[in-house]
Amino acid sequence: MNWDDDSIHRWLEPLAGREGDLAEVFGEALTETCLEWRDGELREARVRREHGTSARWRRGQTEQFASVAGSDDAAVREAVRALRASAKREPLPIRSARGTPAGETEIGFPAADRAAKRLSAIFARHAPRHAFTLRLRECERRVVSAGRPPSTSTRRLLSLEGRFTAASRAGDEQRLFAFHAPMSDGALDELKTALAAASAPRDRAVPVPAGEADAILAGGCAAVLFHEVLAHPLEADAGVSPLRALPEARVAVSDLEVVDDARRLDLFGGYERDDEGTAPRLVKLVASGLVGSRLTDRTHAPASGSTGHGRRSGPAEPPLPRSSNVVVSAGATDPEEMLRRLGNGIWIDEFLGGSVEIASGSFRLRFPRARRVRRGRFADELGPGVLAGELLPTLEAIEPALGREVHACRSFGWCARAGQVVPVGGAAPDIMIRRLAIRPEL
Amino acid sequence: MTGDDLKALLARRSPGQWELYRKSAETREIDASPALERTSWRREEGWAARWWEADAPRFAAASDPESLALALAEAARIAVAAEEPPAWPSKTVALGQASAVDAPPHLFEDLSRAVAAASRGEAVLAGLSLRRGRAEEWIVNAAGLDVAQEQRLLDGVALCVARRPGRAREVRVPLRWETEPEVETLARRLSDAATLPLSDRPAPFSSGQWLLDPAVGAALLGALAPLFLDGKPPRWIVREKLAGPLVAVADDASRDAAFDGEGVATRRMLLVEDGVLVGRLHDLSSARRAGASSTGHGVRPSFRVPPRLGPRRLFFETKSPSPPAALLSAITKGLFASALTAPPRVDLAADRYEIEFTGVSIVGGRAQGPVAGARARGRVSELLRRIAGLSTDLQFFPAPFLVGSPTVYVERASFE
Repeated sequence: MNWDDDSIHRWLEPLAGREGDLAEVFGEALTETCLEWRDGELREARVRREHGTSARWRRGQTEQFASVAGSDDAAVREAVRALRASAKREPLPIRSARGTPAGETEIGFPAADRAAKRLSAIFARHAPRHAFTLRLRECERRVVSAGRPPSTSTRRLLSLEGRFTAASRAGDEQRLFAFHAPMSDGALDELKTALAAASAPRDRAVPVPAGEADAILAGGCAAVLFHEVLAHPLEADAGVSPLRALPEARVAVSDLEVVDDARRLDLFGGYERDDEGTAPRLVKLVASGLVGSRLTDRTHAPASGSTGHGRRSGPAEPPLPRSSNVVVSAGATDPEEMLRRLGNGIWIDEFLGGSVEIASGSFRLRFPRARRVRRGRFADELGPGVLAGELLPTLEAIEPALGREVHACRSFGWCARAGQVVPVGGAAPDIMIRRLAIRPEL
Repeated sequence: MTGDDLKALLARRSPGQWELYRKSAETREIDASPALERTSWRREEGWAARWWEADAPRFAAASDPESLALALAEAARIAVAAEEPPAWPSKTVALGQASAVDAPPHLFEDLSRAVAAASRGEAVLAGLSLRRGRAEEWIVNAAGLDVAQEQRLLDGVALCVARRPGRAREVRVPLRWETEPEVETLARRLSDAATLPLSDRPAPFSSGQWLLDPAVGAALLGALAPLFLDGKPPRWIVREKLAGPLVAVADDASRDAAFDGEGVATRRMLLVEDGVLVGRLHDLSSARRAGASSTGHGVRPSFRVPPRLGPRRLFFETKSPSPPAALLSAITKGLFASALTAPPRVDLAADRYEIEFTGVSIVGGRAQGPVAGARARGRVSELLRRIAGLSTDLQFFPAPFLVGSPTVYVERASFE
């Protein structure tokens, strides 16, 4: 984005005349290549190139927001002009658009066709019957804000979702598969390893028994639980939740450390600058078992400033305080010891999705399969189910035995709130929780 | 670069097999909550092209013509499996004079008062977002199609929180109005959805009759929509006896738009008549595969994705509607599902459904008391055949396509 930052600052300064005022321009250039496979054939290729710009002015409890298509000089002027008109300020002088020179802001995936060939080979080997959708996304975002230096950040993400037919000892079965990671040289190798593991033969699944069970959340999937029960309630614009009434109260064992760390660029939800141009800080959600801090954007920040969690799904939406990567610190227990301590229960290593109701703190997590554990050993394969609970009792029921290895949760990738979908990630060790409600899924 | 330049570019790349789409939209939105009032104005522009090159389909989308030209070149580089192109429609319709978009109404205060009154102070309106806008679509293709149309909307979402000592419930209700906003109706819906689950009273019956509020009936029909689309129908389907004899299902978006996302004229499609499955929906691609013609159901939820087969305005109807009070009085022992507490789960292949709801228990046609949460589950085939009454109070809901339902009476269901 070839913006004249000095001019934009001049246009914004009159809007930010009072302490606490916020005036900014946000721009995005996005390229997304979307490929769809069906049973070994690449059936559809879609390429999307979008540019968008928005301007925002906030004073006290009122906010004006304007967004337009395009991210060139003319788009910036149009957005700021709309903002100044709504703020009843003198309009900007009309000037013809200074088109962005061709090639200046070009981004994209020249390697998309190569990635397609590589993935076709991986699918042919590990999951020849499938329906997969791959998204390769490159997104450049720029923020110019009154009284602050401009910032630019770029993220390249790879996201694969779909289903495949796998062999089980009772015949073929449909399995879901998702993999989300920042695009890097090693991402496709990691995806290959994950798909190979997901396609391994399994026993015939029996239905999940309804009732209460002790559970181990393995493979990093505990990050999804903490995303729902800690990160969402601690987003600064969340309504009153059971956690809000308990600042710095003990809610879990002292061994539990959970942070939100957007700086982890190896995880799907990481970034160098948030969508308000703030460098993110690590935020402790639970520190030594005590309720930690809130995730803030500029609007909801205390005097110490935003934690760098102002995020938006695109230029047409205003930023909201949102979680990024939920990371749980390792403990000292090895997997065999975890199983032994569990005794009888279930072992889950993947969630398909989750939700939380902030006001009551009740949550649900859907899992595609599980393993029954009897007397510390793996027993039956269990089918899909739902794990549900209440926020505070669940945190209290976490055992102090935390796994000693932290795993990135690559099946966890997108979070929707208030109609805005943003990339999120997480990493966690194995976690043991007592007395969770489970029931079979349809 | 202009639309004509893009047409020329596509004609060079793919003679006779291309389609160009443009959408431009303007919306005004008011987000109100006790902590903030945000006023937003948005101008959206999107371009999309679909074409067949080397016998394979391609799709590109962009926010301006220059970017679309770049995206076209990138999409063409990727080798895709061959597929036959559809039979493109051809027609010409120009757009009338466009008019400005007004701001949506300020309803937060009125709705707050109405929610407080409907819930006797237990529920609070925590947020209301209302959006009013217009969108212009222009579709041209290689067969000579050149159509334009305008659509207008007034929609939004309301957030309501209810509390009792030790318990709380939060509900988010999407809204869409086709005429003037109905504040009282919305307030009752928000109040019921937020306060009934606080009663802590489980379903008193394990089976009985089941009355579905229009919102619940619409959510159920929305989940059943794949039954009416292209593809192999589930094995349990008996076309002659899909639903109860009073049930009809139709899709008719003619009051929303003259054309679908592929430029095919919108028409009413009767899908179920007297309980018999009589029709299926088609877009251009599914029509080619089925050897049929498109029914005008190529849907573009956004310019960013190619048109896909989907319902547009799907609804229950009946030749013999009953007043809601008559359906209520017909219940000897059963539950009224006032609102969902989780999205409906339907596995059409396995003929299973599960609906979690909150509502009221009914005995002898009279309400007995709130039911905090109940789960109805069973076979989809049985549920459809047990629909024994539909009311006169048809209402539409965004789901995300429009789904409409009156109050639905099911003669028997199992509850947990």
